[in-house]
Order: sequence, then structure tokens, then C-alpha cells
Amino acid sequence: MSMLGQTPATEIEAPISTFEGAATRPAQSYWNESWERLRANRIGMGAGILIVILGAIALAAPLFTQFLTHYEPYRLDLLSTFQPPGHPHLLGTDDLGRDTLTRLIYGGRVSLGVAFLTVGLSLTLGTTVGLVAGFYGRWVDDILMRIVDTVLSIPAIFLFILMSILFRPNPITLAMIIASVGWGGVARLVRGEVLSVKQRDFIMATRSIGARDLRLIAIHLLPNVLPVLIVAASLGVGQIILIEAALDFLGLGIQPPTASWGNMLTNAQSYFFHSVWLVYFPGVTIFITVLASNVFGNAVRDAFDPRLK
Amino acid sequence: MLAKYLLRRFFASIVVVLGVTAITLVLMDRTRGTYVPGIDLNPNLRPDDIERLRANLGLDRPFYVWYITWLWNVVHGDFGRSMIDGSPVMSHILDRLPNTLELTATAILIGVVLSIPLGVIGALRRGSKVDHGLTVVSVAGFAVPQFWLGLLLILFFSVTFEQHGWPWLPSSGATSALGGGDILDRLEHLIMPATVLSFFYLSLWSRFTRSSMLEVLSQDYIRTARAKGMGERRVVYLHGLRNALIPLITLVGLELPGLVSGGLVVEVVFGWPGIGRLLFERALQYDYSTVMGVTFFATLLVIAGNLLADVLYAVLDPRIRYA
Repeated sequence: MSMLGQTPATEIEAPISTFEGAATRPAQSYWNESWERLRANRIGMGAGILIVILGAIALAAPLFTQFLTHYEPYRLDLLSTFQPPGHPHLLGTDDLGRDTLTRLIYGGRVSLGVAFLTVGLSLTLGTTVGLVAGFYGRWVDDILMRIVDTVLSIPAIFLFILMSILFRPNPITLAMIIASVGWGGVARLVRGEVLSVKQRDFIMATRSIGARDLRLIAIHLLPNVLPVLIVAASLGVGQIILIEAALDFLGLGIQPPTASWGNMLTNAQSYFFHSVWLVYFPGVTIFITVLASNVFGNAVRDAFDPRLK
Repeated sequence: MLAKYLLRRFFASIVVVLGVTAITLVLMDRTRGTYVPGIDLNPNLRPDDIERLRANLGLDRPFYVWYITWLWNVVHGDFGRSMIDGSPVMSHILDRLPNTLELTATAILIGVVLSIPLGVIGALRRGSKVDHGLTVVSVAGFAVPQFWLGLLLILFFSVTFEQHGWPWLPSSGATSALGGGDILDRLEHLIMPATVLSFFYLSLWSRFTRSSMLEVLSQDYIRTARAKGMGERRVVYLHGLRNALIPLITLVGLELPGLVSGGLVVEVVFGWPGIGRLLFERALQYDYSTVMGVTFFATLLVIAGNLLADVLYAVLDPRIRYA
């Protein structure tokens, strides 16, 4: 399964960058132009808004469950287990009589939170390593890239198994676990960008007026790598949500009773004969969320990727 | 040139294999605590029995001693014995690997065979209803959780079909426990897991074939071919498709490591006796030797897949040179 920065299809299909695009319109800043392009993409913007709404619902979970579902995510009600969807439980109840909709809303906090945190961590670490490796080159590059190769050569799911036993995952450690593999792809991507940016004249000019390494990296290289990072981040969220859900499903991620979209499906096979909604709802929620993130991610790529112009 | 390149890749690979196995061992050693593999198989063990067990397994020594011993044995072709059941690690791997290869190879084959024509159709009829339909299917394939798709298939084709008295598919295992094992029986078990796995490949590769094909068809040499009066069919298939497929080979090569780890979730959902599940179960039991053996093979596969993809790419596309 591909993770951050490792979407080969998108990397290879990008045509070789044209130097300065043909100026048919008055020159606009890169950011303005990209933002305009993104806004013009209606499906992409719709998907983006859906993500924002899902995020808002997750953030305001206590509010929603108090006024909409009237249940608490961990309150057991053994007298009303396996209630079908309808009234009073909108999406039914599970084996312990907990309200499914309430748990889905709270699960969203975990699943979305872990996904965004993972992306943030992977980007931070990957960018740092990529910048340093690409900028200094030589043996620094050799060592760092060999580490990246190693990290990317471990079957990821296997590393997750071992680490989840080590750290007893809560949302934050789980994000760290997934990010411990995710940063590798980002580092490779950033390094590649730095190698090409480094050759440009303005770097030579900046260096010749005596700029220090740190200044060169932070003020001159980083902004040039930013577009690639934005693209990697927006395409990565959906993949991370899928990975997190799979880990939870396998019992390696968020542990019950904390609800997550993945671990709500852990015992799904035992509901097949009487309560199929318990199989449907969490899966549909994951599917729609990932779908929206991917569509939005593609829109961001089309708008922001400098290689696609 | 090629020899020098391969030699460099070979030495880099050794570093990677050492790194991966070392990280694996350190993680296992740190997480194990005082647990001794196999300790919970027999409740009557006395403390000195456990001590002897620990010494027998070599766990009383620091992990780096264990690692060096293990490496030494591996170099001599000995992967040791499982710490849980005492049978050779190699026999475990040889036992499970064929099942995994059966599943993943089928999935990859289905993926390749279906995705190329679908991608070509999408590219040739760009913007048509067929193209839009294919796009929707592949976008869905990227977003659906594999384990959930597996659960849904089991729910419909095993549970619901059986309830209606229709012919249903077995939901678990690679063969029937009783009187199974003939080709038809294996095929019945293979259908659902292979479908789930290939759906993802199909989504990925059909999109890729489509965009690669579109790019190639806009090249000058295609225009030249058309200009000299070559038939459309020949232009598309002989000049277009052949060039469009080159990058696809890299992509398929990159999926080779997935032969072991990519199917893990599917193997768990469908109770498939594959190597991914072996890894999963044995890691939870701290079976050092089995886990290390499987990791070693999995890593070799990753490296071989990457190398194969790179070399094939260069062989098929004369514009690419080894650096």
C-alpha cells in the first residue's frame, strides 16, 4: 500500500516541467494562481468542504451527541443490544447496547485526528531529512538515503505490529508509529526537489553574498519544496486513514473501549447473521471519508503541482 | 556498465538487509520484556525450567550476540527452528509461501490482464461515458478499505447466498478441511480474496495505463506514424501501447514486495494460510527465529522487486541509462 509521497502513478505521469510557463496572462503569484485553479474545480472543492464538515463534526462531538443522538459513546445498555437502525437509535446499537451513530462521531475524532497528526509528523521529519540530505550531498546524503531505503524496505505492516506491542497505542503513539514509515517517502521526494533547486542560479547568488547554510535551507530551499509537500500531504491523508483503520481492525491500533472506525469492525464477522448494519455503517464512513480526501487531494495536485503545468 | 551498476546495488542491498533484520530484532527484544516464547504453552513450568528454556533459546545473552549467531547461521543456510513449535523455520516458510504466492500472483495477474484493456479504452474514448464509468470504479478502488470489502463479500457470497439456498463461496481457508484440495476446491476458496486484492491493483494500473497512453498518443512519433498513412489500429497498438506499457512495468515490479506483506490484511480476513498471517501470528508470540526468517525473505523480495523493475525499465526503454 502506498503511503505519503509514494504515489508512483502521480509521480511518473507528471510531464517534465516546462521552464517558465508561457505568459499569456499578466504575471500572478504562484499561490494566487494555484488557489484560483483549485477554486475553479467544483468537485474538488465539494470534497474539501465535506472533509471540513466531517472534521467539524468530530471536533464538536460532545455537542452533537448531546443534542442529536442523546447518547454517550461508552455508556453500556445491556437491555437494548443489537437494536436495528430507527428510533430511538438512529443507526442502531452494538453488542453492548452502545449507540452506533454516537460511536461513529467519536470514532471520527480518533481516525481523523490520527490521520492528520500522522501526516504532520511524516512531513516534518521527512522534510528535514530530505532537505539535509539533498543540500549537503556526499556522505550525509549516502547515509540518510540508506536509512530511508531500509525504512521503506521493511514490510510496513510488520513494523506496525512490533511497535504497537511496544507502545500500547493511544492516538498519539499510533500516529508516531505510522509516521515512522511514512516519513521515508517524503524524504525521498524532498531530496529529489532539493537536488534540482540547488542547481539554480539564485542559490549560487545567495551563497555568494555570504548566506549561512541554515538560512539557505530554511528561507530559500524550503519555500521551493512547499508545493510538492502540499501535494504529498493532501494525497496522503486518505491512505493514512485506510492504514489506521486496517491496524485498528487487526487489533493493533486504538484499543477498545475507545471507538475508532476501524475497531468498530473488529468483531464484524459475528454480526453477519443478525445485525448487518454494524458491518455497513463504519465501513461506509471510512469509504466516504477516504473518497473525499482522495478527490480533494487530486484537485490540490492539479492546482498546486508545479510539474503539471 | 551494467555489471558495475549491479555490483553497487548488491552492496547497497546487503546494508539494507542488515538494517531491516537488526531493527526487527531490536524491536522484538525491547518489547518482549521478561516473556519467553512458548512459556504459555505449558502452565506447569517451574522458574528453573523457564530459566533453562531461556538459555536454550539463547535469550539469556544480549540481543547482538543472538543477532550475530543468527546471521552466521543464515549465511550457512540455516534459519534455525521456531521458538514456539520447534520445527525448522524454513519448513514453515515453504509451507506457507505457496499459498501466499497463489493468492497474490492471481491477484496481480487479474490486475494486469484487466487493467491494460480498460486503461486503453479509457484513453481512446477519453471523456465518454465509458471513460467516466471506469474513473468512478478506480476512484472507488482507491478509497475502499480492503478488509471491509472482504467482509462485504463474505457477507453476500457466503452468508446471504447460503441463507437463500444458492450456491455459496467458502469464507475461510485455502482448501476445505474435509475432502478438499482438488483444483476446483482451491479455486472456490481463491475467488473472493483474489477479487479483493486485485481490485486495488486494477484501480491503480488502469488509471496509470490510461494516463500513460494519453501521453504517448500525443507524441510526435505517433503523429508521424499517422502522417505516413499507418492504420489506426497499428498506430494505437504497435506504437502507442508498447511505449505506454514501459512505465507500467516499473509499477508492477514495485508491487512484488506486496507478494508477502500486501496480502496480510486480506489473509487475516479470509483466514488464508499465507506467509503474511504467519508473520502476524508469530510476531505476537515473539517467535524470534520465524519472524526474522520471514522478514529476511520479505526484504529480499522488496529489493529484488525494485531491482527487477529498474533493470527491466532500462532494458525496455533504450533512452534510459544506468547512472
